[in-house]
Amino acid sequence: MAVRVQIPAPLRPLTGGADTVEVEAKDIAGVIDGLEGKHKGLKDRLCDQTGNLRSYVRIFVNDEDIRFLQEKSTALKAGDTVAIVPAIAGGC
Amino acid sequence: MKIKQAHLDAIAAHGKTGYPHEVCGVLLGRYGDGRVARSVEMKNIETDQPRIRYQIDPAEHLRAQRESRDAGLDIIGYYHTHPDHPPRPSPTDLARAMATGGLTDGSFHIVMSIEDGVRASAPCGWIFRFDSERFDEEPFEIED
Repeated sequence: MAVRVQIPAPLRPLTGGADTVEVEAKDIAGVIDGLEGKHKGLKDRLCDQTGNLRSYVRIFVNDEDIRFLQEKSTALKAGDTVAIVPAIAGGC
Repeated sequence: MKIKQAHLDAIAAHGKTGYPHEVCGVLLGRYGDGRVARSVEMKNIETDQPRIRYQIDPAEHLRAQRESRDAGLDIIGYYHTHPDHPPRPSPTDLARAMATGGLTDGSFHIVMSIEDGVRASAPCGWIFRFDSERFDEEPFEIED
């Protein structure tokens, strides 16, 4: 099923400038693979070397943070909007 | 990077209000345009050490991302304060930025020191470079 993925500005050089990419996926793991299939390099930005989502990358399905759903196994339905958001943090 | 004095004044006021905790926010504009169009306060959800740490609420960040898209803008950067600490990115700032995997590559960061809760330092601007793993100083051009 097709879902729309909103791409944050710093990743758009990898999508040819597109701010939204449509992929066929049944869950978030499929979205990540679908993004990589269309735009090589995106998976490295989202996942670490073991394939896990990087610790300061957040993914939302509509308004829900996948950490509070089933993480990368979170199921999707046609028309869902997936948003990628950096977790901004720091300190002095 | 161009920014209005009113935005810097708003960041300083936010920092004084939040003192002794760190405060944070997002900077909106058009990517590659080199100009901050808006600054928007975010909530610091850090609970363990809010005097020396900050964390933007991801849900609030998502809302800001959506609203900026609707307005034809992008989140081009972030600001945060260092209460009684120098106004430059710390090793913690760099480590957290690297952990975003480049999702903030090229973003503009303002760091402002708030001393004793009353004196705001001259702000410093920085660009985060994921591939070179550092913040490069970025001078301001202040507009009226």
